[in-house]
Amino acid sequence: MGSSNWSTDAYHARQAYNASVGSSGFGYTDNVASSLPRDQWKVHPSLDPHGVTVRESRDSDAHPNSLAISVLFDVTGSMGRVPRGLQAKLPDLFGLLLRKGYVADPQILFGGIGDATCDRAPLQVGQFESGNELEDDLDRILLEGGGGGQATESYELAMYFMARHTAMDCLDKRGRRGYLFIIGDEMAYGAVKAREVRDVIGDDIGENIPFPVILAELRRRFEVFFVMPTGSHYFHDDRVRGFWDTHMGQNVIYLDDLDAVCETIAVTVGLGEEAIDLQEGLEDLAEAGSDAGDAVGKALAPIAASRGSVVVAPALDRLAADGGGADGTGTGGGVNRL
Amino acid sequence: MNRAPGGWADEHAIVVDLGFGDAGKGVTVDLLCARRRYGAVVRANGGAQAAHNVVAPDGRHHTFAQFGAGTLAPDGPVPTYLSRFAVVDPFALAAEARHLSALGVPDPFALVTVDRRALISTPWHQAANRARELARGADRHGSCGMGVGETMAYALAHPEDAPTAGDCAHPARLRRKLRRLAEHLAEAAGARDASAWQENPGQAGAEEEGSRKQGAEEAPNLEECVAAYAAFAQRVRLVDEDHLAHLLAAAPVVFEGAQGVLLDEWHGFHPYTTWSTTTTANPLALLAESGRPGQARRIGVVRTYTTRHGAGPLVTEDPVLGAVLPERHNGNHPWQGPFRVGHLDLVAHRYALAATGGVDSLVVTHADAPGRVRAATGTGPLWCTAYTGAAGTPLAIAPRAVPDLARQERVTAALMAARPVLEAMPGEPVAAIGDALGLPVEAVFSGPMREDARVPSQV
Repeated sequence: MGSSNWSTDAYHARQAYNASVGSSGFGYTDNVASSLPRDQWKVHPSLDPHGVTVRESRDSDAHPNSLAISVLFDVTGSMGRVPRGLQAKLPDLFGLLLRKGYVADPQILFGGIGDATCDRAPLQVGQFESGNELEDDLDRILLEGGGGGQATESYELAMYFMARHTAMDCLDKRGRRGYLFIIGDEMAYGAVKAREVRDVIGDDIGENIPFPVILAELRRRFEVFFVMPTGSHYFHDDRVRGFWDTHMGQNVIYLDDLDAVCETIAVTVGLGEEAIDLQEGLEDLAEAGSDAGDAVGKALAPIAASRGSVVVAPALDRLAADGGGADGTGTGGGVNRL
Repeated sequence: MNRAPGGWADEHAIVVDLGFGDAGKGVTVDLLCARRRYGAVVRANGGAQAAHNVVAPDGRHHTFAQFGAGTLAPDGPVPTYLSRFAVVDPFALAAEARHLSALGVPDPFALVTVDRRALISTPWHQAANRARELARGADRHGSCGMGVGETMAYALAHPEDAPTAGDCAHPARLRRKLRRLAEHLAEAAGARDASAWQENPGQAGAEEEGSRKQGAEEAPNLEECVAAYAAFAQRVRLVDEDHLAHLLAAAPVVFEGAQGVLLDEWHGFHPYTTWSTTTTANPLALLAESGRPGQARRIGVVRTYTTRHGAGPLVTEDPVLGAVLPERHNGNHPWQGPFRVGHLDLVAHRYALAATGGVDSLVVTHADAPGRVRAATGTGPLWCTAYTGAAGTPLAIAPRAVPDLARQERVTAALMAARPVLEAMPGEPVAAIGDALGLPVEAVFSGPMREDARVPSQV
């Protein structure tokens, strides 16, 4: 009898009681913004990547079949709505993943991406969580709202962290990559800069790492998607679209409605796990009372059309003795196009 | 319902269901609050397992569980007071508030006051309740799976440790109580599982698998709950024991009963009962405590037929009738089981009247049902005037003043074997029901809304 939904109830209850007294749900941002001048803003200690060895997604008795799902979003200017939307829809994301059986034990990590060249909070990374602790991570994310206006954000720095500072049982024990969704509307810088890595994360990597190299490394650990809002200022900028299309191919998701981010993630994971086809996913959304079906259907049609069995880590292909032609390089465009 | 519409009501009202629940307490409270002004709707028994459906004339529908059914009254919501006898589920309250907000009720939490002494039901109670019902297998008691009974049971056994609404404002104290509760229930569940496996060794593997999975899913997180309950305590006004006296002094109130007298913990047919006093006893106790003994009009609610949700005796049950009278808001409940329908059981309703010590007037709902029965079956509605026992001899039942569950269990066994003596309802059904129960009929509903009500005898 899997009718237990205490966790969703607790979340909804707390949110309902808190919302009714005017708390925005981003307590840390509100607190920092109201008490400190901008040049003294800093990342909440629990989200600060500096000195972090790894963020872990591990199996436990309660969650024996963990699957790491990470969502990093641009916290600069135009994207401020995304985290707020995520927070509102968070219970639905868990609900969709769990109750529809897409994933047995999702563990979700949230993070924020800014611009290391000018922001106080260029990178914020929470923990992989299986429950309502996520709410706390979201609450602590600093919505800096800055950004430089040069059409670039430090996505590559976030990618470096996720590639080198994560540990996941889904990968280590079962050879299944995690999922990484980056939500943004600008380009990455051309290379991971050694100086920024030292300042922000604390590693000494000696020399810069070209973007395609870190992306390739990351993809051995995660199925990576870039979610781009079509309404964004940069959506019609050929450089930005060209950048992500070139590097990510079909794993770029153009989304008309940013309020549908949670649903998009859930259905993408459902597709990746081969739990559903797109039509089934859209039906699940409708059944769950979501009106995001149109936006999600449109955004994911290219992925759905191109997918076969994909969630096998290329680096681990050789472990599958029978081979069978699992084609790691064909999993969605990417670096092989360069 | 008294005198002309509008203005303050002239006395407190107690609404009690004379059957097994689902008779129409919600619409009755809604009607009362629409016709006359009341200062509050007071809950004096049960918890979030109550489900009182109200459909406003503009089509808005809400199932009231923790909020009083006066919340959609046309001249503005009537506030809710959850008395010390109510069982409070802050999660359910929040969910309901959301829905009420969506229906356009501004700031629902501002409408609620809660006695600090009221027990809270938690996910731990709920999990224990469900586990217990599952362990009963085919012998389920028809619980709603909300843990209200577990909440009462735990409070009786551990009065000092039972978490209350007041505790929600004291995280350290609440945390300590919740931890003890979780440990206690886990121990109890462990013992139950062990004995179940001994009885059914062949199924041990399957049960282990199932319970492990369920345990993994359901283990509530203490800190999350403490945080949510703290938010509840901050937002909803918690009050002390003198609050009700002030309420009663300020304006007439409506006591909205939950469940029905035939499910009463002492007078119901054990073990198919609810762990709650469903008669007018609790409201009368609250009135007496506040220095106003007996100062209320007691209103009994019945349908033109008799229903029951879940297991237990329903002597007049008739599947043919069930097919003719489908239920809009009561379906197959995952925990309670099917909604059951029978002919109007005068014997059972007279028993209920005796058990609750009488009422002053009657509200009859589903007055359209007799006509639908006639149209569908070609014969008029029937009612049950007597029972015959297993041997074909007459079987009479009467409540006892002194609680005796062993005796109630024997009554239940007799009712399970009893057969109804059915006769055609004479004349106009609603008037006939009032005459048969010896009560003035105060209002008659022929549909689910207050607009469907007729108020024949402006008593």
